[in-house]
Amino acid sequence: MKRWLAWFLLAPQAYLLAGMWRECGLPAFDMGVLWCLFLAFFAERTALPWLLLGAALGRALVDDASLALQVLVLGVPVALLLPLRLVLHGQRWLHLAFAAAAVAFAVPRLADWFGAWFAQPSASAQADGLVVLWTAVLAPPLLAVARRVPPCRGFVEVA
Amino acid sequence: MAKKSSAFPVGLYGALLVALCALTLPAVFQPVERALLGAVARVSRAAAGLAGEPVGAAPAAVGAERVARSSDVLRRVAAHHVGGAPAELALRHGPVRCRVFGVGGRGGGGGAPCELRLDRTYAELGDSLPFVTQGDCFVGYLAQPGGPGAADDVPGDLARVLLPNHPLAAPMHAEVEVGPDARLRVVVRPAAAADPAPVRVDLWDDPYAAARMERALLPVWTRAVVGSGSHVPGGLRLGTTRIWGYARTDDDEALTLGVFVVPEPSAPSLSHVVAWRRDVAGAPVEPPVAAAFATATVREMPGMAAGRFLLVADGEVADGAAVARDGALLGVVRPLAFGSGLVTGFAATRLPWVLLLAPDGVGVPPVELRAVVVRAVGERVWLRRLGDVMAAPLPAVGELFTGSNGAHCPAGLWIGRCEADSQDLNQLIVALPPLQGAATVRWCTGERRP
Repeated sequence: MKRWLAWFLLAPQAYLLAGMWRECGLPAFDMGVLWCLFLAFFAERTALPWLLLGAALGRALVDDASLALQVLVLGVPVALLLPLRLVLHGQRWLHLAFAAAAVAFAVPRLADWFGAWFAQPSASAQADGLVVLWTAVLAPPLLAVARRVPPCRGFVEVA
Repeated sequence: MAKKSSAFPVGLYGALLVALCALTLPAVFQPVERALLGAVARVSRAAAGLAGEPVGAAPAAVGAERVARSSDVLRRVAAHHVGGAPAELALRHGPVRCRVFGVGGRGGGGGAPCELRLDRTYAELGDSLPFVTQGDCFVGYLAQPGGPGAADDVPGDLARVLLPNHPLAAPMHAEVEVGPDARLRVVVRPAAAADPAPVRVDLWDDPYAAARMERALLPVWTRAVVGSGSHVPGGLRLGTTRIWGYARTDDDEALTLGVFVVPEPSAPSLSHVVAWRRDVAGAPVEPPVAAAFATATVREMPGMAAGRFLLVADGEVADGAAVARDGALLGVVRPLAFGSGLVTGFAATRLPWVLLLAPDGVGVPPVELRAVVVRAVGERVWLRRLGDVMAAPLPAVGELFTGSNGAHCPAGLWIGRCEADSQDLNQLIVALPPLQGAATVRWCTGERRP
């Protein structure tokens, strides 16, 4: 119970922390990508739907589109990456960096497509090359840290 | 079994399916979303309260100046819409200014919207002429409850206007101004949804001259014909022509296959129209509706760079309500549970806006347009005009205001100073007032007549 409380209390606020990080002049990265990678490669499979809800809630807090659309925008990359977990298990830095770049590129595209389809356009639908680059660079070390601290620590799948 | 469930994550796919259902039936899932986001926003609200010093409001004089600008643009709009009407109409009938609450309708000619919803009921407009205008332009036919296009409506419903491209709109006598003293008499009717423009020219008094028409953008005016049964007076501008056919080549003459009319002003950009009361000769214009506001507090969300704000109000806020700070538009609010709302700043919105552009200069009428934010850098926002690409160019400099964007977003809220983008004739660059921290704001609760 405590781990769920921590997840829903902290995971959505991570987007605001990422924003503060950017405001401090540090390189901007996409927090949604970090959650996608954690869910796809490290989180307990049975907990995925609710973990996805927490991540989507955070994105809905900072983005104009609805919660349901955020679930799709983050959930589709997770569903596509999940089968790769068998191959890319563990902290493989290079693979994670490539996956992060791919997801950082895909998330705005998905937000654009779903936004156009469901008439919910949002500012997050515009991909920024620098954000993609920095997400790819920062995602592996941030994931390595995140897996060891709450709220993620409670949901790391044990092999 | 455990292995099977791990290979096929039913829960994840189920979540995606539920999300699709929620997008298809938003009204069903909206209360859940508001409660969840409201709960999450409580945490953000507590965190935001600890971070930083609130920035005070702008000096009172700034707010008052912006409110004065808003009043001025609304006055200019009213003067243009009513004063521009043909003299005969204005002399015999009393104008009733109506706000446009919504644009819609399916199956309209040219695939364009074909209906307007006004802020007045059929009962309120019961003694009005069966059409509405804007300046010297014909806008559409005022529907009657239970009549064509409004079969299920009752007198207490908000009035509906059928635009000239509505499938049920009556054919209309008109004339095309082919030259300074030359007019081609025609009958126009709604085009098909697949046609390239909303209205099609159907009959000509001189088909030979029509077939030789090479130039587009010719003005089209309504024409009064005795005994036709139409109540629409002559001399109202309907729109401009578009030619469909083959262009002139070295070997061949131009061949016109069809002539279409693009109505002016464009329906999706309309903020106000004018209905005309019968037998109220010379009656003064009714006072404009006044937007009612309630006070709330907004706080900039950390790291959101003026794009997203948390609004805290005493009660529930209305969905899509305009939020104004110091007389300027801040953005629109999405309500959450627990008396809070998420405000998306104007610069961060990507939905189309109906806007009023007041060009600099005395006596220049404001321009109504529909535009969408395409880019924002700091307090500078790039707006792209939507609609007819052959429309008149945008004014070079002016002030930008909201148009009519629904029941809770009134026309005339000042947005910022704008200038035409020299790189793109269909774009405007708007300078927004700077904003940071927390401030007291007002959100629109609706409108009321004085």
